[in-house]
Amino acid sequence: MADPSAPMRRSPLAGREHDLARISAAEVPFLVHVDVRCDPETAAGLDLPFEPNTVAGDMTWGILWLGPDEWLVVTTPVEAPRRLEELRSAVADRPHSVVDVSDSRTVIELRGVDRLELLATGCGLDLDPRGGWVPGRCAQTTFARTPVILQELDGATRVFVRWSFAGSLVDRLLAAVDVLRS
Amino acid sequence: MTARRLPTGGAWIDRSRPVSFSFDGVPLTGFAGDTVASALLANDVDVVGRSPIEGRPRGVFSAGIEEPNAFVEVSAPWFEPITAATTVDLVDGLVVESRPGVGRLSPEPHGTRPVAHRHRHVEVLVVGAGPAGTAAAIQAAAHAGRVLLVERRQLPGAPELADAGLLEPQIGTTALGLYDDGYVVLHQRGQLETIWHVRAERVILATGAYERPLAFPDNDRPGVMLASAARTYVEAFGVLPGERVVLFTTNHTGYEAASALVAAGAELVAIADTARGGSATDAARAGGTDVRSGWVVAGTSGEERVTAVNLLGPAGEQEVVEADLLLVAGGWDPALQLYRGIGGGLRYDEGIAAFVPDGTGPPWLDVVGAAAGDGLPACTPSWDVPGDDARKYVELQRDQTVADVAKAVARGLRSVEHVKRATYIGTTIDQGRTSGVLTAGITNRLLGWQPDAQGPSNARPPAFPVPFAALAGLDGGPLLDPIRTTPIHPWHVTAGAVFEDVGQWKRPRFYPRSGETMDEAVARECRALRTAAGVLDASTLGKIEVVGPDAGGFLDRMYTNRMSSLPVGTIRYGLMLGLDGMVVDDGVAMRLADDRFLVTTTTGGAAMVLDRFEEWLQTEWPGMRVYCTSVTEQWAVVAVGGPLARDLLAAAGTDLDLTNEAFPFMTLRRGSVAGAPAHVCRVSFTGELSFEVHVPATFGRHVWDAIVAAGTPLGLAPYGTEAMHVLRAEKGFVIVGQDTDGTATPDDLGMGWIVNTGKGDFIGKRSLVRPDTVRPDRKQLVGLLPHEPGLVLPEGTQLVAGTDLAPPVPMLGHVTSSYASAALGRSFALAMVRRGRDLRGSTLVAVVDGRAVPVDVTDPVFVDPEGERRDG
Repeated sequence: MADPSAPMRRSPLAGREHDLARISAAEVPFLVHVDVRCDPETAAGLDLPFEPNTVAGDMTWGILWLGPDEWLVVTTPVEAPRRLEELRSAVADRPHSVVDVSDSRTVIELRGVDRLELLATGCGLDLDPRGGWVPGRCAQTTFARTPVILQELDGATRVFVRWSFAGSLVDRLLAAVDVLRS
Repeated sequence: MTARRLPTGGAWIDRSRPVSFSFDGVPLTGFAGDTVASALLANDVDVVGRSPIEGRPRGVFSAGIEEPNAFVEVSAPWFEPITAATTVDLVDGLVVESRPGVGRLSPEPHGTRPVAHRHRHVEVLVVGAGPAGTAAAIQAAAHAGRVLLVERRQLPGAPELADAGLLEPQIGTTALGLYDDGYVVLHQRGQLETIWHVRAERVILATGAYERPLAFPDNDRPGVMLASAARTYVEAFGVLPGERVVLFTTNHTGYEAASALVAAGAELVAIADTARGGSATDAARAGGTDVRSGWVVAGTSGEERVTAVNLLGPAGEQEVVEADLLLVAGGWDPALQLYRGIGGGLRYDEGIAAFVPDGTGPPWLDVVGAAAGDGLPACTPSWDVPGDDARKYVELQRDQTVADVAKAVARGLRSVEHVKRATYIGTTIDQGRTSGVLTAGITNRLLGWQPDAQGPSNARPPAFPVPFAALAGLDGGPLLDPIRTTPIHPWHVTAGAVFEDVGQWKRPRFYPRSGETMDEAVARECRALRTAAGVLDASTLGKIEVVGPDAGGFLDRMYTNRMSSLPVGTIRYGLMLGLDGMVVDDGVAMRLADDRFLVTTTTGGAAMVLDRFEEWLQTEWPGMRVYCTSVTEQWAVVAVGGPLARDLLAAAGTDLDLTNEAFPFMTLRRGSVAGAPAHVCRVSFTGELSFEVHVPATFGRHVWDAIVAAGTPLGLAPYGTEAMHVLRAEKGFVIVGQDTDGTATPDDLGMGWIVNTGKGDFIGKRSLVRPDTVRPDRKQLVGLLPHEPGLVLPEGTQLVAGTDLAPPVPMLGHVTSSYASAALGRSFALAMVRRGRDLRGSTLVAVVDGRAVPVDVTDPVFVDPEGERRDG
């Protein structure tokens, strides 16, 4: 059944599909993002990644390591209710925090072969497979002073950007592409 | 004609690609691969510029970034105020003009080249692709992963380089500086300029060495050139810089340079060699060259160019020979600007009469090849020759001579660093590459010290001048700083809002209708809110979800009042203090559940407050079971206020009971608004009946549109931050950061009621009982009504007691907020005034442009002091 609220919702980069295409990218809006905080002992019983800057799970239930006691669960509206309920009940008797941040950020998926070059115009991390940046890695960082979370997929890189910064980030990516192609 | 392009040769130029450029308005041509300097020599331009102080003619002295003499301004196709002609690559349409050692800025905006910034991580970075750098890179590539080789000029044609498995080497690239932990910034020139930010595990400097000049009278005349530079012009650029050549040398490399010129067709007239014999001398003599062992050059003659060279023998013999080019080979100085910039030290190597790395410097850094002194020729330590000190130039770009160094030493200066600052030697574009060791040598000699006593003055990044435009890259104009916008922003743009910057946020300041001034628009927006309804995009409010069993107790410690006692579904206003007891932020705390609060912060304070929460939790109270999550961007906030706000919200569609009984002030309810899931808060920053509608950000625009549509028939006006400021000031509500400046306590603001000293400790509590914090003559918040009701006092206006403005005039306080009020029909202000509360009812004087304007001191609440409007 279609979500009846869909016509009321608008994603940060709605209307910028053409600009995103110029950087071989597309917005992946309306995913469910949940910030999970708990201590490592509590987390031990869950399928959370413990190695810093790695991702566990898959495209329907992915968990990004953000810190020693912080994870970002990224899932779909279909999966979310059941899986989040399972998560909540698994940690119910321990101190924890589960906060819905789905509308805080949107996701820009960069799919160009030069996407890591593009990101390297504004991000100081080692975004090179030879340096360990391979599918399954994630990182909280900045691109051109904009806070972002990066996640490497097979053949694509996801850029999680807060709503308010999204338009400005696309402007900066477009400018960088123009310079790289000049 | 004395300098000319040779018919063949020139490894770096492409003779099939002629390039047109102009110098001082004269159209000239060169070839792709030329620098401006090589092209000027090819066109027999002797005088590239005049010296800055004495106006003496100056020509091309070197072939690289050590150039102290030939400076130009580039005005097209890009702009650079001053740069060495030896470092500017020739491109079609290049326009350069001579500059006398100092640049000038044009007031006009300049063309700049497109600039890319690129970050790279490598295992090994090799700077310099000479023999040592190339060998190091090839060897490193056999053992390490990513090896990057960068070179200021061109790569050698070494075939093994191509197969070594390096990253693509970058040419035209100059390292600007080394920084901690192997961070290196590089500048790559070209039609697209690139600033490379390289993080390397190891850095190998193979930066080579610079040939050192010698100080002799009139050594600055065009036609005097470093011997190795002349050789470079012949071999790399196919340019012969002179026909009749004299060599003045301290070592055998001068001979090799002279031979290269002879091979290209020049006549070698004489060699003055400070050394007494040697194999190079013997070989030259065998070839028929006139070699004078133990002789020096004691001067030059000519007008705009050398026409003769004065030779001086060991027994005082003098001889003048005709020549148009004097090659100077004073020895070699390792190129250590980058090494020294990161703290590497020097030691004197007597054999080569030069300063080499002493093995210090960071552990990730190696210096190899000529930069480490390897392979540099044995050399007699010669800095200057007998003769008129005032004409022996040490620093060509600053017109500084041996006499100037002597003057500095005579004044008692001994350190080269002090001599540098007294003479400006080394404060030049080339950073003293040709003058540094010379100055040290002469200073040591004048002091009677040995040559190893002290080396050249220190070097700092950038090792080579780089345009600010290149460092800025894309971060200019609209991309200067990220711009943050709310989900409702596009509506504001369409509505013609005038925006103001609040931190990085763009917030609508007011919405002018056609023909309206700002004052008119703000007055209309304020009137609408007080008589009908207004709507504000408050999405920028900082929001933090505080979750955990100890959330209430934690907030009790962060705010001055008690939050733990809030019933679920209610809201409390809170002040946050610094450890000094001063107000740093304010906001409301809403209790969403027993273990869950949503607190709001000021727009500008959001990040600071979250940092503060995390800092106290992580460093002081790690045992508290509390987690904080920023949800600023999760929620769009539409603030609806005014006497008709209730009707309006009902018209927009909600399942909430909006009556005062079901939904009292300072509570929150969850429900739907215009079909969107919402929590709605009864809070008010204007004194009017207000509902803050929080919806997930993706619903923000929908809910805003629905409320505007429902409200327009009721007289709703969207209002901006300016009207918000007026409306809250009419109620005496402070804005932290506008009415406060980090020196106001809650009591100073008349908000002593919000400090709960009975609840246990909270941040700032102890400071509130310090003698200074409780003294009675602190500045306190008051209202002001100017006697001129049409005059809006400038914010910051000083307040004094009387109309006698003859100094000294004791300052009693200042205006913090000031507006024209539609509700009052006159101007009013808030102010911080010494003993202000005691002064209510009296008259003070505001000083406006030197004029005394009487103002009545009042209570800061101007509208609805009884609070009758907040329930509608």
